[in-house]
Amino acid sequence: MAGPDDVAVTGLGLVTPGGIGVEPSWAAVLSGRSRAAHDPVLADNPVSISCRVPGFDPAERLGGRKAHRLDRFVQLALVAAHEAVADAGLDTETWDGARVGVVIGSAGGGAETFEANHRVLLEENPAWVSPLLLPMHLSNMAAGQVAMEFGARGPNMVVATACASGATAIGIARDLLVMDRCDIVLAGGTEALLNPVTMAGFARMGALSKREEAGLASRPFDIDRDGFVGAEGAGMMVLERVPDAVAAGRRVRGRVLGYGATADAHHVTSPDPGGVGVQAAIQAALAEAGASARDVVHVNAHGTSTPLNDLVEAQVLARVLPNRPVVSSTKGVTGHMMGAAGAAEAVFSVLALENGLAPPTANTSRLDPRIDIDVAFEPRPVPKGIVLSNSFGFGGQNAVLAIAAA
Amino acid sequence: MFETLKNILVDKLKISGDQIVAEATKEDIELDSLAVVELSLVLEKELGLKISDDELMELDTVGEIVALMEQRAGSVTV
Repeated sequence: MAGPDDVAVTGLGLVTPGGIGVEPSWAAVLSGRSRAAHDPVLADNPVSISCRVPGFDPAERLGGRKAHRLDRFVQLALVAAHEAVADAGLDTETWDGARVGVVIGSAGGGAETFEANHRVLLEENPAWVSPLLLPMHLSNMAAGQVAMEFGARGPNMVVATACASGATAIGIARDLLVMDRCDIVLAGGTEALLNPVTMAGFARMGALSKREEAGLASRPFDIDRDGFVGAEGAGMMVLERVPDAVAAGRRVRGRVLGYGATADAHHVTSPDPGGVGVQAAIQAALAEAGASARDVVHVNAHGTSTPLNDLVEAQVLARVLPNRPVVSSTKGVTGHMMGAAGAAEAVFSVLALENGLAPPTANTSRLDPRIDIDVAFEPRPVPKGIVLSNSFGFGGQNAVLAIAAA
Repeated sequence: MFETLKNILVDKLKISGDQIVAEATKEDIELDSLAVVELSLVLEKELGLKISDDELMELDTVGEIVALMEQRAGSVTV
């Protein structure tokens, strides 16, 4: 499966409801304990449950002046990017910045800043809207700010495929490296959409779990699932071509061998009931990896805990993966980090191979009888092979990454 | 008035207090064009002082900003 187009993962960074950093986030995911709680910011909302990053103090992490001028979705991305760059041992003073790209996924950009300024406009004075509104709110600022932070002067963009954005970003980063447009790409996803108006919108469309007990709300593939739990976070990776990484003496932590991207072209929020687009994305990722469905040893599922997503995804997995690989949805613990989810879960996929462990799917004890896949209820061993990380977005976008060990 | 401005720069714009001295230039305290608009807005909201961002852009130092604030305050007690 190794080839000249192998892309190495040489650095990892996470800021998730499990904790700030890769280690606490992975430990939280392995614990199988949900991080959902009632959220005081959402107290008046139709649904008030969320998963926030615990103890995230942006001023402490980034300095007060910098934090003041950044929306939370960029703050989270910067902290995750710092961890990934440090993990890779990159020297940003001496690298050729013109050959370093940044690709970040975000579904909603700085919605919190937008909502706060809209309130000023309506309740105070339109002339008092902050001059920082747009530099904080625009989605592309996540990639722009990471570029400024590290002097990355190559291709730079934010991509939006709703809840597939983080996986799409890593896939595009892979493409940029294979096409030789960059030597290094900082890639990932970030999201901070736990502001009242966005979360009210999710609640009104019936996407969120209405369960009273927060800790039991996110239960992917379970018979009693009734919606997702909104979460914030960021996941970042340093990606390089394998030969470059090896020549530079960097530790290869995993490889992104394939990327499959499709659209359902079906409905704004409901998945195509036949799962045609999801299946095509899985098959495209495996084909690019030069792998077969029999090589898949683990799936980090999209598994949002919504009735429809989990059913269609499970049916496709049961249909296309004959060896019944162990399937985990880390959203039982973290909730749904939306545009960051695909990136954070790609990081979890690398860690699953590194540690030989598939994380448990929190809260899931009784599978929907229509679901016939091997869901991990507790940490399970993962042999060497291909891990699929699935991500699907409202709008019908599907992004699947095929990941292998170093 | 210097202390008033310093408090605003520290509390509202999150600029580090030890940088703020009368001789410090806008560049020294990283008061870029966006921050100048922000400062103009805060001066109006907090103190009722109408000093436009264009006027602030013409000034070089913290001391000059303080002088204009004092002049503009006129009968307004700050």
